[in-house]
Amino acid sequence: MNRHKTIRTIFIFFLLIIQVVFISEILKENTHSLGIVATMIILSILLLITHLRGEIHHKDHAYEHVLVALWIPAGAFVTFYLNHFLKLGPVLSAAITGSAASFIPNLRKQSHYLQQLPAAIYCGAFIGMSSAGVAPNFLFITTASLFTAILLIISKNLFAGVGGKLGTLAFAGVAITSFLYFLISSYV
Amino acid sequence: MYNTAILFAVSFVSSVTTFYVNEHLKHGPVRSSAMLSLAVGLFFYFFPHLMNSFLVKNIPIVFIGGSFIGMVSSRVLSNYLLIGTAGLIFCLIYINTSRFFNGYGGAVGTASAIALLAVLSLPVVTKRHRLTNGMMLLRKTLFGSPRR
Repeated sequence: MNRHKTIRTIFIFFLLIIQVVFISEILKENTHSLGIVATMIILSILLLITHLRGEIHHKDHAYEHVLVALWIPAGAFVTFYLNHFLKLGPVLSAAITGSAASFIPNLRKQSHYLQQLPAAIYCGAFIGMSSAGVAPNFLFITTASLFTAILLIISKNLFAGVGGKLGTLAFAGVAITSFLYFLISSYV
Repeated sequence: MYNTAILFAVSFVSSVTTFYVNEHLKHGPVRSSAMLSLAVGLFFYFFPHLMNSFLVKNIPIVFIGGSFIGMVSSRVLSNYLLIGTAGLIFCLIYINTSRFFNGYGGAVGTASAIALLAVLSLPVVTKRHRLTNGMMLLRKTLFGSPRR
């Protein structure tokens, strides 16, 4: 029970850090504009209040099934291919992947498993939206998908129903992988 | 100025429309976001010279970002005005997003999540889907309940 609570707390704190870093980068680049600085500080406070109140999480902790999370790389590969090889651009590529994925539950409407796949595939699609400068090859996409899959597994009941959750998980996966690539290129 | 106003309008419309398709037409969050974004993406793919290059490049991205907000469950937020407000906040973040995160997949989703979470902290929607006094809850969160 305590282990679940620790994982839950670490995940929420990790996501908060990701969001704070995202806002602080905006702050860093806009120190000349008082309006933007004030807006970002207010946003950070509001964000912190929502996190502290914690009403966006289910009380019980649960884990997503590995076989659901395994579809993240599939969404990422398809989108990456459409985006970089067919040159459709990130939005159209992710939209095509997500639209196709949303019809998977229609194959067998009684299947609980199939109903969970569109979200996992759409989450993967966000990884595939990365530019060639950030994600140069399929190895990067695979690594980012792996990290995102781990985050999806442990966050089943956290931020449930909050729009942007899948994108945040994908962003976290891509950011971790970029950092890993940066460390490897610096020391190897 | 004119371009920015259009992006704000797109973001507002996108988040509200996606929520409508998601919750009222019962198409689910993924299909609502993806199909609407597909329509907008295809439109600008086939008519790239209909508007200036800034709008052609940014409208599809702002639209898909706004649609992530519309993916919200009605158990979390069901007020159209607040969803639209989150859309506007998202656009504000998007316009000022750091160049550091350019090309990072999921960055738009992160901005959407930040906008939505910020809105959730203010006028809080109760489980009965009624608006409560946001300032009272904000004060209670910051300073605790008043002593009797």
